[in-house]
Amino acid sequence: MSHDHDHHDHDHAQPAPETQDAGSQALAEALRSSFAIVKIVMVLMVVAFFASGFFQVGPAERAVILRFGKPVGIGQKALLNAGLHWSFPYPIDDVVKIPITESQKVRSTTGWWFTTPEQELTGDDQTASGSLNPAVDGYVLTADRNIIHVRATIYYHIDDPIRAVFGFAGGTNSGFNLAGVSNAVQNALDNALLFTAAKFNVDDILHNRQNEFIEDVQQRVSDLAEQWQLGISVDSCEIPDKKPPRQLKDVFDRVITAVQNRSKLLNDAHSYENSVTNAASAQAAAITNEAATASANYVKYAQADAKRFNDLLPQYQTNAQLFVQFYVAQTMAQVLTNVEKWVQPTSDNGKSTELRLELNREPPAPKNAAAP
Amino acid sequence: MKRNLITIIIGVVLVVIFLLLLFVFQVRQSEVAVVTTFGKPTAAPITEPGAYFKWPWPVQKIYKFDKRVQNFEDKFSENLTADNNPLLTSVYVGWRISDGGTFLRVFRDGSVSAAQQRLEGMLRSTKNAVVGRHPLADFVNANPQGLKFDAIEREIQDAVQSELSTNDYGIRLEFLGFKRIGLPPSVSDAVFERMKSERQLQISTTENTGKRDAQIIESTADRQAAETLANANATAIRIRALGEAEAGSSLHEFEQNPDLAIFLWRIDALKQSLNQKSTLIFDERTPPFDLFRNLPTNSVSP
Repeated sequence: MSHDHDHHDHDHAQPAPETQDAGSQALAEALRSSFAIVKIVMVLMVVAFFASGFFQVGPAERAVILRFGKPVGIGQKALLNAGLHWSFPYPIDDVVKIPITESQKVRSTTGWWFTTPEQELTGDDQTASGSLNPAVDGYVLTADRNIIHVRATIYYHIDDPIRAVFGFAGGTNSGFNLAGVSNAVQNALDNALLFTAAKFNVDDILHNRQNEFIEDVQQRVSDLAEQWQLGISVDSCEIPDKKPPRQLKDVFDRVITAVQNRSKLLNDAHSYENSVTNAASAQAAAITNEAATASANYVKYAQADAKRFNDLLPQYQTNAQLFVQFYVAQTMAQVLTNVEKWVQPTSDNGKSTELRLELNREPPAPKNAAAP
Repeated sequence: MKRNLITIIIGVVLVVIFLLLLFVFQVRQSEVAVVTTFGKPTAAPITEPGAYFKWPWPVQKIYKFDKRVQNFEDKFSENLTADNNPLLTSVYVGWRISDGGTFLRVFRDGSVSAAQQRLEGMLRSTKNAVVGRHPLADFVNANPQGLKFDAIEREIQDAVQSELSTNDYGIRLEFLGFKRIGLPPSVSDAVFERMKSERQLQISTTENTGKRDAQIIESTADRQAAETLANANATAIRIRALGEAEAGSSLHEFEQNPDLAIFLWRIDALKQSLNQKSTLIFDERTPPFDLFRNLPTNSVSP
């Protein structure tokens, strides 16, 4: 470069050399000025060299600097956050940018029947269609050898970015990204679904032990991630879709209906039980209370009777005959005011006359007409 | 003078850069490098990333290999289990180049896809052998002791790994597991039929046990109610008896004059029996109506 400049200026200086002195003087002049230019260019080059070390990290990515091929920093510290950074220019340093978000996720659909993206959007993928085609329709086998479909999503974050980014090949040879590790997580999740489903009975997965199933899947993924040193840790696992085969939807639905019917039947029985036992308790309380009242009354009555007897006894002892007459007359007067009375005249010859009564028993009066 | 100095500096820098390019090579985090001297591998492969020294070509030559784990899954293929159930399986493997020199020798240009083809063939035969050794109950089992899922995976991995080592491919399996398990359509149809009958059994069991349980609950309730009432009645009788016993204690009072007592009780009985609507038919001779007997009018009506 510098030589180029030199010659160039020299050629321009040549056309008008009148004397040797003037010529050499001009040459020296030209050389000096070209030399200054060279210096500026060099300074600029050095500046450009170091300035080229600046690079920007976007908001949805992180960067790792490889110095002579080795990452600078260990673990999470190796990750450069969004912003402006500087590194030595290539070939000393090499900047690798990786699209990492706080939480990564992968979804497993190997246990689901074949759906097109359109069906996925409209949700119109529920219709059954003959046999399952093992090439495209995915499913898992349960412990009781049933077939069910499951779809799971796992959320994880990168614990060891160096291992996760540089440990797994994803696509191109030279580029580094998370495709490799996310592929491995995906495989772990697919495997976890198969493995966990193989331990559970179909009703446990679909109804009885749903949470346990999800926990086991997550545990299995965590175990595999640790075993394979994926450099990730699992945050959570979601299994929103668990379905019996569409071909058997009808009969599975009927089981649910039957279960609901049964619980309704049992609820009805329990409410019957409630009403009957409570009614019985109420009635029992009534009976015992009544007995208690009656008993108390009886005692009181007996006592009152005895008291009256004791009160009347002196009078009776004074003149029994008179007392009886008086008492009977008094009672008659009292009693007969409320009573319908027939006085049947006796015939003169002393014989009794015949009296016929028609008794109307119809109204259930507690006491009916009586004859003394 | 000044010019010379700068030239020299530039020259030195250029020479240093040139020499560095000639004598130094980098091993990246994801790579393993093999140095050959006149075509012969020198020392152990370099696995630690960093900058290393070498003699320039043609003395030493550097081969670099990707040491990252490669994900690979084989085709969904059918095998018979030990108890003659056809089972479709597909496994994934994480493998990596463990010995670059060997790998380069075995697979032309160190081709990853060629290696995976070889791996696929091995997996096919190994799977066939291993699956054939296990009954279906080893693959799916509610009993944790019966489930040999992990063991089967390990068996396949160990078999493939030992074959890789024996044949010296320079490949190492990092992990292996089932990715998919399935059944041929004819079998899955049979499974559907069985599932259907299981469901139907469940439906009828649910319905019948529901009815039974409801009846048990209701009849138990009835029995309990009857028991409660019977107990209450028994209690009531006891209470009444206690009352009567207590009342009886006042009986001795009446012993002072039984005539009066009997008289009073009869009066009471009369009063009580007549306190409702009643009609009495008297003979005229009955007091106090006998008062009318000798009066001019013979009959009296109320």
